[in-house]
Amino acid sequence: MSDERHETVDLSSVAEEILRRRAESLAAETVEESADDRMPLLLFRLGEEWYAVKVADVREIYQEYAVTSIPCVPPYIRGVVNIRGEIISVTEVATLMGLDSDGDSDAEEAPAIVIQNEEATTAMVVDEIGDIVEVPTDGVEPPLSIIDKAQADYIAGSVYVDGRLIGLFNTTTILKPIDATSA
Amino acid sequence: MVEFDRSAFIGKFQEEAQDLLQRLNEGVITLEAEPANRELIDHMLRDAHTLKGSSRMVGLLEISDVAHRLEDIMVKVRDGEMAYTPEMSDSFFEALDAIVYLAEVAGTDVEITLDVEGLQARLTAIAEGGEMAAAEDVASAEGAEEAATPEVTDEDHSEELREDAETGGPGAEEEPGAVRPAMVGGREARADEQGRPTSADGVMKAKAQPTIRIKTGQVDELLNLISEVVIAQIKSEQQAVDLRQAVTDQADIWQAWLRVKSAVVSITNIDDAIATHLADEMAHLDSALSDARRDLSALSKGFADDMSRTSVVVNDLQEQGMRLRMLPVSTVFNTFPRAMRDLARSFKKDVELILEGGDTELDKKVLEEINDPLVHIMRNAVDHGIEPADVRRESGKPEKGTIRMVARQEGDHIVIEISDDGGGIDPEQVKASAIRKGYISQSEADSMSDREATYLIFEKGFSTAAIITEISGRGVGMDVVREFIVEKLKGSLDVDSRLGQGTTFRLTIPLTLAIIRALMLRVGDQLYALPTASIDETLRAEPSDVIKVEGREVIRRQRRTIPLVRLAGILGVSSEGSHGGKIPIANVGFSGHRMGFIVDALVGEQQIVIKTLGTHLRKVDNVAGVTILGAGEVVPILNIPDLMANARNRAGRKGSGPKKSAERTGPMKILICEDSFTTRELERSIFEAAGYDVEVAMDGAQGFAKLKEGLVVDAVVTDVQMPNMTGFELTKAIKTDASLKNTPVIIVTSLERDEEKAEGIQAGADAYITKSVFNQDTLLDTVERLIG
Repeated sequence: MSDERHETVDLSSVAEEILRRRAESLAAETVEESADDRMPLLLFRLGEEWYAVKVADVREIYQEYAVTSIPCVPPYIRGVVNIRGEIISVTEVATLMGLDSDGDSDAEEAPAIVIQNEEATTAMVVDEIGDIVEVPTDGVEPPLSIIDKAQADYIAGSVYVDGRLIGLFNTTTILKPIDATSA
Repeated sequence: MVEFDRSAFIGKFQEEAQDLLQRLNEGVITLEAEPANRELIDHMLRDAHTLKGSSRMVGLLEISDVAHRLEDIMVKVRDGEMAYTPEMSDSFFEALDAIVYLAEVAGTDVEITLDVEGLQARLTAIAEGGEMAAAEDVASAEGAEEAATPEVTDEDHSEELREDAETGGPGAEEEPGAVRPAMVGGREARADEQGRPTSADGVMKAKAQPTIRIKTGQVDELLNLISEVVIAQIKSEQQAVDLRQAVTDQADIWQAWLRVKSAVVSITNIDDAIATHLADEMAHLDSALSDARRDLSALSKGFADDMSRTSVVVNDLQEQGMRLRMLPVSTVFNTFPRAMRDLARSFKKDVELILEGGDTELDKKVLEEINDPLVHIMRNAVDHGIEPADVRRESGKPEKGTIRMVARQEGDHIVIEISDDGGGIDPEQVKASAIRKGYISQSEADSMSDREATYLIFEKGFSTAAIITEISGRGVGMDVVREFIVEKLKGSLDVDSRLGQGTTFRLTIPLTLAIIRALMLRVGDQLYALPTASIDETLRAEPSDVIKVEGREVIRRQRRTIPLVRLAGILGVSSEGSHGGKIPIANVGFSGHRMGFIVDALVGEQQIVIKTLGTHLRKVDNVAGVTILGAGEVVPILNIPDLMANARNRAGRKGSGPKKSAERTGPMKILICEDSFTTRELERSIFEAAGYDVEVAMDGAQGFAKLKEGLVVDAVVTDVQMPNMTGFELTKAIKTDASLKNTPVIIVTSLERDEEKAEGIQAGADAYITKSVFNQDTLLDTVERLIG
């Protein structure tokens, strides 16, 4: 009980804090971006390009894993892995989005980023894991309009990191459960 | 500070209400038989009171009000101001159902569509009718009881209930917090058996039971961890073997060393200094080797001892873990008397339900899943099995039909038999219907045994009834029930029927869903698991045994021709082909079909733990899940119904489903015959929205003329009362016309008396939907089922 009460107090004070800050920023619209409104992104490489996912969506990273292929799945599902007794699908995001990758999709040394939301979990195969960077929350721009249609659904926006424009993955569409009904 | 939020407690109330409502429902049924059972009334009164209080607490005032009125009536009954009459049961049930509904929608945005006020008024009328109407009620009720409605519940039945409560006692005591989906709602919490109003002692005992309610998710997590421990244990058993091998290897090295030592000692012409040095080194190596040997051997032995001790514990852990999920079948059975009462009423039949073996224990997950199939089979038995009273009288049977549901354990399976003493399935009628619907040809029918014909009821979309009535027609066919049992529960459903004597459905399901036996087989370089429940046999056939018929490979087994399918082809994987000439085949029987799957190698049979494909791969064609073998490798488990369906699709759907649907492309066409403009346009828009092509006619004559002029449609939907030619006449005309008779006819009408339905059946209609229950889904479902 005491814990709960404690948490409630914390939450309400946090909420108060947020409200206070919003009120302040509304009052002075020209005030500089607060340094706290930043979100961490995990960078990764596919082929020549760098992309990012929100760290909040990442559960863990794997460098080594044994994939079991499953028949009758879409071509971008490489198979499943057994992670401590939990079965997780392995998604080749490069294939899913028609992006370049280092090729040889059978290479098992390619690292995987396990992403998760309330609905599903999958391990995304990438070519290389990069750094975690912090970007301003409102620094995410809408995706480039010239983007390939196959990719548009899976890119949430683009963001500048060290002068490079990086595509931010939309984990919600990537994690959409696959529900193939029998033909 | 945070305000007290009532909505947060609605969930709790719903859980509690479920228990109370279940007990009240059972109470009403018992009360019908023993209207003067004072003790029972007291119990019910207490439950109604609790319901009233807690619903008011969470602000559900409508529930509180209905419960209050129930309480009022019961107080009067208890105080003898009023006699309990069977008529009251209906109002009680209505009230209880209303509470179930209100409790379910509580806290959601669903708009309440129930006539609560009307119900309240009716309840008040009963309560206030009290003294003055009581005598009248009794008089009229007595008449009503005999004439109007056949009651499921009678003296015998309540005896049965009481017995059930007592015999069900031990099982129930183990699980007073028994959780399962109750018939009354979608939530999981439910009544414990001690709550039965007839066993007051039980209630007291239950309170004293040292039990805990646990979320099933937590139990599942625990079981998941246990299966990890089991897998780890298998791994360490393998390591123990490896260690023993290392000890043996070291013994060999020791022997080799001894030989070297004696060889070295025998060397004579050697410098003394070197000899001394060598002797030192050898002595050192000798003791090091001997120490290492002793240590390794001790390690191996110690490991093996520890492991065998752990092994016992792990086995116990697994067994006890599985038992956590086991609940008595009675948790499902208990809702059936009420369901049967409602069913018997709606079909206007007099049926007694006998339940046996309620204390048989079953995995909770299985229990959750068998409720619906059992209800469906029960409903089927009432609708199609039990004959109308006059027919029963003529054939010398008691007017009251009997449906018996028996559960028992056989080895590692649970068998549930549902038998009725009705008319049985007429194989000739089934055959005729199958021919008419295009499932089989006349010659196939002629060569078919009665037993095979009976199994036709499991064909996709097949309905045994000459007509689809709303109650059995809504929902699902036996094919769906059977597929569900095979696919979801890894069990089987069989039927045994004697014409004129009755039908028995036999449901065999594994004790637990978590572990099944499976045949491991190899295709290409990967292993697959095939559940053994559906495997008839495995064989290694000579290539010369495989013959080609109509361009397809088949094999003869016991005077049956079994089509062969390459598993690699269905799965879309590469195959290495079998080596050494013989062809490994797994013969599978499912839903009356047999098929042989050609694989690369048959590896062996073993128990496997079933796991899902994870949250991302929700449904994959042909794959039911995966299992993890001892070494941690993941093996896909194949889905037999999917494999069979896909194999049949490849073979041009031969022998499966109406043939016409396989050849068709483009939208289905419907002819609507209806004189009312509004209804016609309503139906038209429903079908067009669902992607059908629609043709309309103002009456039967016009519709029939269009058909005779060569209009080809997939189904005819017709009204009954129309000028020039009625729907019945139209149906008869279509069904007696050689070129049109296979077109399904669906009658949509406001006539809902039984005689009218019978007239529709005689005319040959395939389905009959009354406008009172008419809605878009019923109509589309029915049409889809008929032309699917």
